[in-house]
Amino acid sequence: MSADATRADLHPGVTGTVFDIGYRNYTGAREGIRRSRLAVYKDGLRTALGIGRGGRAKILPIGFMVILSVIGLIMALIAGAIDRYTSPGMSRTLNLPSHSDYYGIAAMILFVFAAVVAPELLCRDKREGVINLYLVRPLSGSDYILSRWFAFLTVILAAALLPQIILFLGLLLSDPVPFNYFKAHWYDIPKFLGAGSVMAMYTTTLALLTASYTARRAYASVFLVGLFVITAPFTIGLAQELGGPAGQWVSMFNLTNIPLHVSDIIFGDVAELTKIAPARQLGPTVLSLWCALWIVAPGALLWSRYRRLTP
Amino acid sequence: MSEGKVLLSAERLSKRYRAVTALDDVSFVITDGVTGILGENGAGKSTAIKIFLGLLRPTSGVALALGENASESIAVRTRLGYMPEHDCLPSNVSAAEFLTHMAEASGLPPTAARARAADTLRHTGLFEERYRPIGGYSTGMKQRVKLAQALVHDPAFVFLDEPTAGLDPMGREEMLALVRKTHRDFGISVLFSSHLMADVERTCDRIIVLQGGHVMHEGEVGRFTQDTQTVFIEVDANRDALMTALQRRGVTVTLEGGGLSIEGSDQSVYDHVRDALVESHAPLRRLAPRRRALTELFERQPVARA
Repeated sequence: MSADATRADLHPGVTGTVFDIGYRNYTGAREGIRRSRLAVYKDGLRTALGIGRGGRAKILPIGFMVILSVIGLIMALIAGAIDRYTSPGMSRTLNLPSHSDYYGIAAMILFVFAAVVAPELLCRDKREGVINLYLVRPLSGSDYILSRWFAFLTVILAAALLPQIILFLGLLLSDPVPFNYFKAHWYDIPKFLGAGSVMAMYTTTLALLTASYTARRAYASVFLVGLFVITAPFTIGLAQELGGPAGQWVSMFNLTNIPLHVSDIIFGDVAELTKIAPARQLGPTVLSLWCALWIVAPGALLWSRYRRLTP
Repeated sequence: MSEGKVLLSAERLSKRYRAVTALDDVSFVITDGVTGILGENGAGKSTAIKIFLGLLRPTSGVALALGENASESIAVRTRLGYMPEHDCLPSNVSAAEFLTHMAEASGLPPTAARARAADTLRHTGLFEERYRPIGGYSTGMKQRVKLAQALVHDPAFVFLDEPTAGLDPMGREEMLALVRKTHRDFGISVLFSSHLMADVERTCDRIIVLQGGHVMHEGEVGRFTQDTQTVFIEVDANRDALMTALQRRGVTVTLEGGGLSIEGSDQSVYDHVRDALVESHAPLRRLAPRRRALTELFERQPVARA
């Protein structure tokens, strides 16, 4: 009798066999540094959005995204309802809040969102020592921090642009002839993309720089919220007290307003938050350069902190 | 050092921090197999590892890892693995997800990374627990995850920094078995950094002993113990007479417990023992060759400079 026949007789109904195939060396592709950077970028996205983590990790990022989107949705619904129940174009006649006003309305929520989520990308790696494992892979400190920066920029861009897209689609669809609305307002798209990008770069850089100074997420979050919330009333009050050029320069340090001034310049309109800021009188060139400085300088500082990092 | 494919080499390697010399003009090669690097804290072990990984630039000299200058080629790290001594694991993700991510971070495509993560978890005995968050793992399991992340991209060479730190005796046994398996079954050469000589002796083929930034010893583990082999004798009576008879024949002999310990193990030693036993009328109870443990070796004599 053959061995197979014997086995079949002894174990009727057995159709499979388990083999221990032992250790297999990897002979496939190694994609090098490009794949490593992409992996850190992807992990940054997942961390920021709580993907692959427990339910609690998803609450804050998803919650903030929903709040920001709901603001855009409400603005679109109000404009749509007014146009539908009064006359088409009435919302514009009434000068209801639109694309140029959105960042002024949502800026503080966006800043708090960044303050809460950004530390998660850097602080945990530092506190738990995971950063040491990245640095022994084909990644430099610069690769790590740039990948994390781009990951968080993507999340903040999504948070900044998604409500604008919802608002644009809402206004488009509430128009009796959507194509006419598109023809008349397509230029809002590059404007909100540009203003949103500036807002996202500014928020991302400041939030990650703050997070880079501590391994405790809570410290970074509280400091950031304090920075954005406290500088606004403090600089407004001091600028009014001082008046003149000194007041204008003090007003420049209102961290909430820095990207909003650029948004105003892009849209050619003035948001409610920046209307009373003396810094406006310094002109678009100074305000744009000031915002660029607040992106480039903290960015360079952030990069220099990670550039020579070793485990 | 023994023959074999040279995987790491240090040539006149020095690393100086402001007031401290971590490595002082050291040269050695590390070949295929499991090599132990021994030394007290501050001996230069971690500095040497960091230079080979390209994380530190040497002050002078050259460190080659897999034939490439480690401080000039970041890409060589795709073929190197590193298990740090300290905590380095995220608490809120599963081992499967973490290892997949680490494989991708080492340059593997996503599909291959997932397959490698599953394979590596199976080989390190964590397959059943792979979907649990790492934060809930025991110390032994966390050490296994640390080893697994060092192996997940199938490196040619892996650095293990104190892999048994913090483990209970059972966990330590299992980790040492895994280290041996890493070379024997996976074909991955290992540099095993430790200050525990017993771990190195049981696991490694060769050792390098660093002290104060210098290489104090290097070679086969077996050779060290062979060189200092002893013969242990127990007699029922006339022990002192036997000792005198042995010393008269020029044999180095010491009292040890209830018996005598004689340096060397070649044929002449046994001839002297035979003659001394006859002369002293000492009834022999036990005669056995014995190898010294590395620990004992370094305790008894200052090691020779290589």
